[in-house]
Amino acid sequence: MKIKKNASTIVFEVITYAMLTIGALVCVLPFIIILSGSFTDNTTILTKGYSLLPRNITLSAYKTIFRAPKDILQAYKMTLYYTIVGTTLGLFMITLTGYVISRREFKYRNQVSFLIYFTSIFGGGMIPWYLMYANVLNMKGSTFAIWFPALMSPFLVILMRTFIVGSVPEAITESAKIDGAGHFTIFTRIVLPVLGPGLATVGLFLALGYWNDWYRSSMFSTNSETWELQFYLYDLLNATTALKQMSQSTSISTADLPTESVKLAMAVVATGPVLLLYPFVQKYFVSGITVGAVKG
Amino acid sequence: MKKANKTVSVLLTVAMTLMLGGCGAQSAADSMEDVVTEETAVAQGGEETAETTEEAETAELDTSERVDLVFYVMGDAPADEEMVEDAINDILLEKLNATIDMQFSTWTDFQQKYSLELTAGSADLIYVANWLNYGQLAQSGAFMELDELLDTVAPDLKAAAGDANLNMCSVDGKIYAVPCTWAEYVSNGVKYREDLREKYDLPVPDSLENFEAYLLGIQENDPSQGLLTVTTEESQGFLTAFDAAWIFNYKYSWVNINGLPYGLTADYDSPMDVYDYWYSDDFVEDMKLMKKWADLGFWSKSALSDTNNSESYKNGLCVAEIAGQNPNKQITAIQDFQNDGHDDWESEYIAYGEVNGVIYPGHATQNATAIVNGCQNPERALKVLELLMTDQELNNLIQAGIEGVHYTLDDQGVYTNLNPSNPTFAYEGFNTWALRNGDYKLPQESDIILNEMFEKYEEIGSQTKFPNVNIYDGFSENYDAYAAERTAVSNVMKQYLAPLQAGLVDDVDSAVEEFRRKMTDAGIDVCREGFEQQWIAYCEEYGYK
Repeated sequence: MKIKKNASTIVFEVITYAMLTIGALVCVLPFIIILSGSFTDNTTILTKGYSLLPRNITLSAYKTIFRAPKDILQAYKMTLYYTIVGTTLGLFMITLTGYVISRREFKYRNQVSFLIYFTSIFGGGMIPWYLMYANVLNMKGSTFAIWFPALMSPFLVILMRTFIVGSVPEAITESAKIDGAGHFTIFTRIVLPVLGPGLATVGLFLALGYWNDWYRSSMFSTNSETWELQFYLYDLLNATTALKQMSQSTSISTADLPTESVKLAMAVVATGPVLLLYPFVQKYFVSGITVGAVKG
Repeated sequence: MKKANKTVSVLLTVAMTLMLGGCGAQSAADSMEDVVTEETAVAQGGEETAETTEEAETAELDTSERVDLVFYVMGDAPADEEMVEDAINDILLEKLNATIDMQFSTWTDFQQKYSLELTAGSADLIYVANWLNYGQLAQSGAFMELDELLDTVAPDLKAAAGDANLNMCSVDGKIYAVPCTWAEYVSNGVKYREDLREKYDLPVPDSLENFEAYLLGIQENDPSQGLLTVTTEESQGFLTAFDAAWIFNYKYSWVNINGLPYGLTADYDSPMDVYDYWYSDDFVEDMKLMKKWADLGFWSKSALSDTNNSESYKNGLCVAEIAGQNPNKQITAIQDFQNDGHDDWESEYIAYGEVNGVIYPGHATQNATAIVNGCQNPERALKVLELLMTDQELNNLIQAGIEGVHYTLDDQGVYTNLNPSNPTFAYEGFNTWALRNGDYKLPQESDIILNEMFEKYEEIGSQTKFPNVNIYDGFSENYDAYAAERTAVSNVMKQYLAPLQAGLVDDVDSAVEEFRRKMTDAGIDVCREGFEQQWIAYCEEYGYK
């Protein structure tokens, strides 16, 4: 069953493989440099620059980060909490919304959809947004303020609606209806079972969003125990820059600020879990994104 | 059905247009102003009550009702925030029936969050500083006027802060903030390696000629040794474009380090007499010196694109630092050399002011505390501030934590943190730099060297025309009228001034010519005019004549 390749196919494949290899290298090399840099002695980085293989191997950067393991573990715990709560609730709400606005028999579905889409283009802006949560809803300082604002996004609702429309033909739900199924049965018994890729994609988007978020902690946290992991690390870096700048105009202690290798080790600590998770969800991710495409 | 659809779509269109209009007009600044005006109304209400208490004549502040205050400060919270707060609140409750809750900006997006905090108005006391735009914020009504309150409620605080310092914190003739009472000299200068200087028997680099001789001497004796790691990073803004140009502070006795913005300058003795630098012959001469130094290899040929390596001095990659240095950084360098096992390395420091005779402590608005406009209990807030600053027990508590838990004092009263590797409450752990009280400030080990330097500077400073007065840093420029020209000028500085000051041009004269032409094209005259007007008005207001 071997298909003979002609010359042009071989040339094409050689070029493709070459380009893909280069592309992969471009993506992987920075990671390797980050990884090796995080194990390199700081003075070596400063005097000799970065390298692919670590020189003067040391664990001091990781020791610095985990010097206060309680803090970083707490940040990990909080991020896990936000990710799990946010993703579960978000998936729940997005799927239900997507289902409702995909139903033809819902009279105002166009209006409701419009209201949702509208916010994806026109927002209130940062200051009203902040005042809303801080002063009107009085959420500042609570963990609620960190996962609540990101539960739903118009983009994900649209995505979910498209999934549902694409994977559940109207005819099936109609026949279910004739057999006496209500919306709840239709949703749980017919729509949900075929929604696997959709749930995985939207869930991954949500989870990544929660995992990588630092902004809401920055805005609403008043207690470092509620910080997200990304914010914990990001703030460590920002403190370095800010204190260095401040020390120009006033006397404050700048000892013990993170160094190059510590920054790199932070990147490893923050991205590590996501990297590990990716391969498991990836197959859904790919199939999810192409779900709307034409199928044979 | 169709009609209903139409109605809906018309309604939605109208709503959309309205929102669009809203987006355009209601910029961030506007909405901020709205809130501020509202707050001013509230504040006026507050002032009336202040007046009524005054009528009652020195009647004791009514503390029958408990008040919980929020104190907004910069930076990150210490681990033992609650423990120290509780200790402070025990005392405050007893004395004033009030509590404080410290809230921290963190160092992420702190500028933005700081303005949001003022807009939201949830804090009572707030840290202010010139680098947080104190002047402009006070002008737009973000803070409460304190003139009357200081007299009626907190006369002790007023006395401690001193009229001269309070005057520096006044904006349009009204006091809005209370500065710290610890005079700190952040005088820029040159950090150099004394051990190398001695080893090769070189002159002390206290002038342009000696600095050149110092670097040349090291270059001759040890060609592999890096000399300067100057970049463009300490030279942002409108004064210089490249770090090496800071060295000219040895030569000139200007009102401010590096002169005034837009290539203008004025002497410290006559701040109102603004004159030109970039278009002067001095400038050409100076740029020729920079080219000479660059050709001698004092800094890298790629200096313009290098990123700042703040640890190069610490690691011995350079033998002097000339930009953005201050006494505190000298202390850090000494400690770094010790901690890294370079016991034979020795760092010395010469402030530019020691050479050019112009030296002054930090401006009062460097570290100050204000009451946010809209605060419900301004009297109590001010009274709390007074106690925090003037009560030794409270002041030490808020600045250093709990004695025995967080720090100890030795026989000479020198402060030592009990857990230095991972402090649960570091020195000034609440970042309340604005509460520093010169009389109660617990000395750290490093403060001994620092105080020696300060004493030396104070003496030089007392002999200037305005004894120990920092003139420039109280000035805040409003460039709304010429923002476009300003941006253009900034670009020309990066593109044409930086290579000049880095000496990386072939022919200085023609490069200067081109730089000046581009500057004129960019609209430097508009910027200069706008700046000069405001600067002279500022000097007149505060009597710097």
